[in-house]
Amino acid sequence: MNTMTEESASYPPLSASAPTTSPFEPEGIVWQGVSARLATARFIMLGIFFGIPLVTLVVLAVALPPAAPWLWIAAAVVVVVTAWIAVIIKRQVHAIGFAERDEDLLIRKGVMFRSLVVVPYGRMQFVDVTAGPLARKLGISSLQLHTASPGTDATIDGLVPSEAARLRDRLASRGEARLAGL
Amino acid sequence: MLPPSDAPSPRSAPVPPPPTSLSKATGVPIPGSSGLTTDGSAGPDTPPPGLEWKRLHPVTPFVRGWAVIAVLLVVFGRQSIESAPEGGIPVDGGNWWIFAVGIAAAGVIGGVYAWLSWRVTRYAYDSDAVYVHSGILFRQQRKVRLDRLQAIDIVKPLLARFFGLAELKLSVAGGGDSGAKLGFLRDADANQLRNVLLARAAGLEEAPDGEILPEAPESEVLQVPPGRLIASLLLSGAAIFLIIFVAATIVAMIVSRSISPIATIFPALIGVGAYVFSRFTSEFNFTGAISPDGIRLRHGLLETRSQTIPPGRVQAIRLTQGLLWRKADWWRVEVNVAGYADSSDGNQTGTVLLPVGSRDDALRALWLVLPDLGVDDPRPLLEAALSGSGPREEFTTSPRSARWVDPLAWQRNGYRVTSRGLLIRRGRLTRRLEVVPHERTQSLGLAQGPIQRRLGIATFVLHSTPGPVSPRVPHLSDADAAHLLHAQAARARAARTLAGPERWMQAPAQAAGLALDRAPDDEATPASAPVRLDMPDENRPTKDLL
Repeated sequence: MNTMTEESASYPPLSASAPTTSPFEPEGIVWQGVSARLATARFIMLGIFFGIPLVTLVVLAVALPPAAPWLWIAAAVVVVVTAWIAVIIKRQVHAIGFAERDEDLLIRKGVMFRSLVVVPYGRMQFVDVTAGPLARKLGISSLQLHTASPGTDATIDGLVPSEAARLRDRLASRGEARLAGL
Repeated sequence: MLPPSDAPSPRSAPVPPPPTSLSKATGVPIPGSSGLTTDGSAGPDTPPPGLEWKRLHPVTPFVRGWAVIAVLLVVFGRQSIESAPEGGIPVDGGNWWIFAVGIAAAGVIGGVYAWLSWRVTRYAYDSDAVYVHSGILFRQQRKVRLDRLQAIDIVKPLLARFFGLAELKLSVAGGGDSGAKLGFLRDADANQLRNVLLARAAGLEEAPDGEILPEAPESEVLQVPPGRLIASLLLSGAAIFLIIFVAATIVAMIVSRSISPIATIFPALIGVGAYVFSRFTSEFNFTGAISPDGIRLRHGLLETRSQTIPPGRVQAIRLTQGLLWRKADWWRVEVNVAGYADSSDGNQTGTVLLPVGSRDDALRALWLVLPDLGVDDPRPLLEAALSGSGPREEFTTSPRSARWVDPLAWQRNGYRVTSRGLLIRRGRLTRRLEVVPHERTQSLGLAQGPIQRRLGIATFVLHSTPGPVSPRVPHLSDADAAHLLHAQAARARAARTLAGPERWMQAPAQAAGLALDRAPDDEATPASAPVRLDMPDENRPTKDLL
């Protein structure tokens, strides 16, 4: 493949442009992970979501002996699905990473369906830091960068509030320094 | 200076002389209100004193109220028909009077509301911003910064055209309800106000004693004859769908020997018909022109719209050719302009740069946006981009392994980088070419699913402002995708620092060549000659502006 075709353009190639094994693991990038408490928060949500049907199924299975085998099977399916999603959550939280470079912020996500977003500081329109009741209890918050494009999906979940505040201020100041129009 | 003659205005008080003669022709001044600061609310963004506040045209409430009355008529009418007993509309009996009184009452209430709304709405402008105050119960004070202006439209709905009125729409990035609508004004006033605002947005110092500001000269580049528009709509997917649907219904009627399948036609007929009709009316009589103020588009059959998109406001451009248009080699050109998409009225007509045109027309439209593609000879590059496939003209395409996920187009999908922009071509049946100037890149992304991962490919996504164009290159090899992502981030950054000013006339280089009084050469943009993307510099009105 002629991978180096755009070398003919008048812009200098980036230093980190050497082909690597995976495009989601650029060389020379140190990824920062997020708090493991994000997994806890998601486990709790998962427990609420699947716990109620599970309890209902078990209660029905005890109360209605004729239909019990089927209800037990359904309950077992719910348990298996829950366990499977729990494993996925664990891996997903582990896979979230971000890296602050000089000119842009990199955010990486996903295990099966992976994504990598590059947001230039000069393109940031505003930064959101949000925390719901559960996240506040656990001491995490999420940070979202907004550009003029709705397609920019730059959310970092599971930041420690102090880290979120630090990052927000840093991004805001960097954005201001590099602000371009649209 | 006097209110229009058809205005039943009781305001005959002596009008104070306006401070600047520039604002002479625009709007109806409010006597005694110049220099008023509003409501005593001294916020940080309070409009500066000394502004000349004006009202909209007095016929505005009627033109606006008419739409309300029409909607009410439809709603009431449908309800009374639906609630009618078997045998038809209850025109006999007492119901008719209730209906009429209801309509009249609604009309009066709507009229009073529209009149009050007109009373409290006023606008002013200075060299930096337009200020609009409106709202009866919930007051709104809006300031639209002119250096953030993305586009100015003059819209004339059918009814307003009877009165010679027009609405001025200022679009800024921010989506939804952002920007400002000044409507309605007299035609001449709207034009004049647009010229003034464009000149100020461009950063031109207006002449101290400037009389009526001249419109920036323009030369017409694009035209869509009605015949071609109709033919293109007949060859569009919607029309084909309709024909197949009707044929299927007729077959069903013959097979089932009953007339009942015809009932299923009407909803589809109305839906598709409304879509085709709105396309036809909004894209009728389409012309595109270039001027120092940017791209000028005019179109519309019933409601006419005249758009001005200043230089550097187009975020991305897309050329599309459906399968049925291939024989005629027609293309449709759409653009992303911040502030145009997801407008409250829902239609995306503002984003069409060329409804249908030949290949030369489409390339001319591309030239309007990006006069310099950044290559020495753009012609073979664009040929390859529009209809080519494979690695010719330095296109980077999907690797061979991508044929498992995209057997049809894997050789065509690809990208090419020039010094000015990123060209993305894709689609074998529906051909697309998307071009994004480097300095308009918002953010970049990569995505990869499990199958792609196994095949060693990834999809590159470029995030642009809201609009019809969402550029992405599907199924690039891992190495190509990674390289493109990082190289493109660097290019976008470099281009951003070199990008022209938001006030497009302020760059030092253009001051000499692009004064407003400079008439364009007739041959500046030949409408009949084959497209020349390599025009000499002096014939390129916008070259330095972009």
